[in-house]
Amino acid sequence: MEDFGRSIPKTIGAWQAAGKDQLYDRETLYDYMDGGAEVYLAFDFRQVWARKYAGPGGGELALDIYDMGSPGEAFGIFSCDREDPGVGIGQGSEYGFGLLRFHQGRFFVTVMTAEEGEAAGKAVLDVGRAVAKELGPPGPGPDMVGFLPRESLRPDRTSYFHANVNLNNRYFVASENILGLDRSTDCVFAEFETGSDKPGYLLLVRYPGAEQAVAARRSFLSSYAPEAGSEGLVQTENRKWVSATVWDRYLIIVFESPSQDWARKLGASINIPKK
Amino acid sequence: MTQLLTRRDFLKGTTAALLGASLGFGQDAAAAKKAKVVLIRHRDVLDENSAINPDILQRMLDEAVMRLLDEGDPVKAFGKLVKPGETVGIKTNVWSYLPTPRELEAAIKRRLMDAGIAEDRIGLDDHTVRTNPLFVNATSLINARPLRTHYLSGMSGCIKNYIMFAESQPALHPDSCADLGSLFKLPIVKGKTRLNILCALTPQFHGRGPHHFSRRYVWSYKGLIIGQDPVAVDTIGLRLTMAKRREVLGKDQELPPVPKHIQLADTRHGIGVSDINAIELVKLGWDEDILV
Repeated sequence: MEDFGRSIPKTIGAWQAAGKDQLYDRETLYDYMDGGAEVYLAFDFRQVWARKYAGPGGGELALDIYDMGSPGEAFGIFSCDREDPGVGIGQGSEYGFGLLRFHQGRFFVTVMTAEEGEAAGKAVLDVGRAVAKELGPPGPGPDMVGFLPRESLRPDRTSYFHANVNLNNRYFVASENILGLDRSTDCVFAEFETGSDKPGYLLLVRYPGAEQAVAARRSFLSSYAPEAGSEGLVQTENRKWVSATVWDRYLIIVFESPSQDWARKLGASINIPKK
Repeated sequence: MTQLLTRRDFLKGTTAALLGASLGFGQDAAAAKKAKVVLIRHRDVLDENSAINPDILQRMLDEAVMRLLDEGDPVKAFGKLVKPGETVGIKTNVWSYLPTPRELEAAIKRRLMDAGIAEDRIGLDDHTVRTNPLFVNATSLINARPLRTHYLSGMSGCIKNYIMFAESQPALHPDSCADLGSLFKLPIVKGKTRLNILCALTPQFHGRGPHHFSRRYVWSYKGLIIGQDPVAVDTIGLRLTMAKRREVLGKDQELPPVPKHIQLADTRHGIGVSDINAIELVKLGWDEDILV
């Protein structure tokens, strides 16, 4: 990471590197951010390299390059917080309101400015493009994303993560960790077209073993859908359906399903590899 | 134990009740605590560029504290909070994206000095309060910070502002920062907080990005939420945050995940009141889009 100090250009357009480059690891990340550190620590975050750029008129731009340990983890942190259109930088990107986010290989990158206006936005994108060239080749995403059925999938709304804090910020389920999510679990949360303006949601969780998956389903149903029968299928107050099933060490939960059949069909269409 | 909240509580429309009225579970009604909170707003405290008018902000602080303490003069009102000869720490917040405004710090400091506190015995600090002599020796504290959401604790308010008094901040992070209320029982803090000021001039109602900040989720509310009970102040702040989230993000995202520490500060740590029915909310000033 220290090499970025030399390889990332210190001058990009009218913007100049300002102050000393900083490096933070899992122990010191709290010194750098208040309110966001846990987001990264819930992944296999290793280090973040940070640099500020000063622009014309006193503007500031913040560049952060996160080493997430693997391309899958870099995709994960990127995927949990998407709101804006892509801009063609790195393997996946988005830009809006002065914030560029993208991932490339095992790196996740943010470039942010509080400045408004076209020039500041252009500078953010210019810095992003310059950085992307220095990050090496792209890498494969998480295997579980490949298990999802393609039909009706909203691909830019698929998130990969491990912990309950990420799930609740993506789709609030419960104030307690009723699914037993932690660093040992792998989760994919995906959105699917339903034929109406409201999507249906799929949560796929991989536990270390089948026993944990069964226990998590039991915990989920008792807390969230106690009236569900043995099939784990129930209609909620908004007339949508929720279902919870287990396949080996995978827990499959469908939220906001328009019908019982839609939930069953989606759950059955996941391509979990045979043992 | 906190009440388990699930998405289905939003669908049933019972979230607010679970967060408010039911928080007094187990309390003897006859012995129930009460709290008073003042919300004051002024249309012109910010200009079109969000620059603060310091004179209006000073008046807002004065009026709110006078009303809170039923006093007709701001200096006398602050005189009820602190006494000449005391050492007073103003616990501020320096988070670069949304800090405690300097104009607010100056307004507080001015009234402390008017009330007889020597300037060299007023501390103003955030990250080094544990070692700052003006906080180590403080006999009174003023707790002042902006209202915003927080990825882990749901909301950063007056309760969470004291995390810098903790020996280990990460030790308070488990379970959505459930035990932040314990901070008010630390020896350096216990019994010293005279006033809690939740700055809602430009609150942040949702967060994203590397530092959980995006300017698209900040709005000009132009208010201050003030009280002597940090739990009651944060309870009102949470209500405001939820109302704004419901308006912009939709009903199923009204709750920032998951601000359980506010309830637990009451029911587990006993440092204040989180039952909305036990909070007297006094509203002063501009009431357009007041939301609470």
